[in-house]
Amino acid sequence: TGGHTTEILRLLSCLSESYSPRHYVLADSDKMSEAKIRSFEQKRAETFSESQFSLDRIPRSREVRQSWISSVVTTLYSILYSLPLTYKRKPDLILCNGPGTCVPVCLSAFLLGLLLIKRTIIVYVESICRVETLSLSGKILYYFSDYFIVQWPELKKKYPKSVYLGRIV
Amino acid sequence: FRFKESLAEHLQSADLVISHAGAGSCLEALENGKPLIVVINDKLMDNHQLELAKQLHRDGCVLYCNCSTLVETLQSMDLSALKPFTPGQPEKFASFLDKVFGLQ
Repeated sequence: TGGHTTEILRLLSCLSESYSPRHYVLADSDKMSEAKIRSFEQKRAETFSESQFSLDRIPRSREVRQSWISSVVTTLYSILYSLPLTYKRKPDLILCNGPGTCVPVCLSAFLLGLLLIKRTIIVYVESICRVETLSLSGKILYYFSDYFIVQWPELKKKYPKSVYLGRIV
Repeated sequence: FRFKESLAEHLQSADLVISHAGAGSCLEALENGKPLIVVINDKLMDNHQLELAKQLHRDGCVLYCNCSTLVETLQSMDLSALKPFTPGQPEKFASFLDKVFGLQ
């Protein structure tokens, strides 16, 4: 959604074409991100003509401030939905930055890894908005990601296993 | 003026930006080199968006007030004391990922 999409596109801006094809996963209720993504990819295709990408939609796992209990149920449903998608794409890398949508995708990839079906490297970048506290997605994925990147030093102190590269968006 | 697709034009011609604490709004103003006053909504105290606004204020990049102190802030502000905002560096991220995948 919104801010997350803008941030992730900035993260992608300096990546080489080794990181291709790119598969974007969006929440079904997200109306604005698709346009931003297409615009980004269109620009990219001007430099890298062989550039490829795809867009998939999954049910939104949690609304803002949705209750804990119902969130567990909706997230489980989203994980079930994400499993076939992740299995189909078998990504080498999952890059995410915090919307609720990313949790089921990462957890399904983690599961496929445990089942020895596909080992995906999960890289989580916490939003630049998070200076002192982690988002809920961050708190969960801190334990499931291979690399957990924070953008402010205070978070690095609180979460020592994280990676601090300074501000990257 | 409710929801314009892009405020870019207005932003370019502005001398001063007064905004809520949303990250997108703050960063857009700062990246365009505009002096920024962030107005905090006291009633949304639980809002994590405050974290970024507070940090930017600590770094001396923005002025900071709430609705009731806005006028006073406008009257007494010294925009020249604001420090320039250095943009983020996605190259560092690319470099990091390349190392992870042995692409360097």
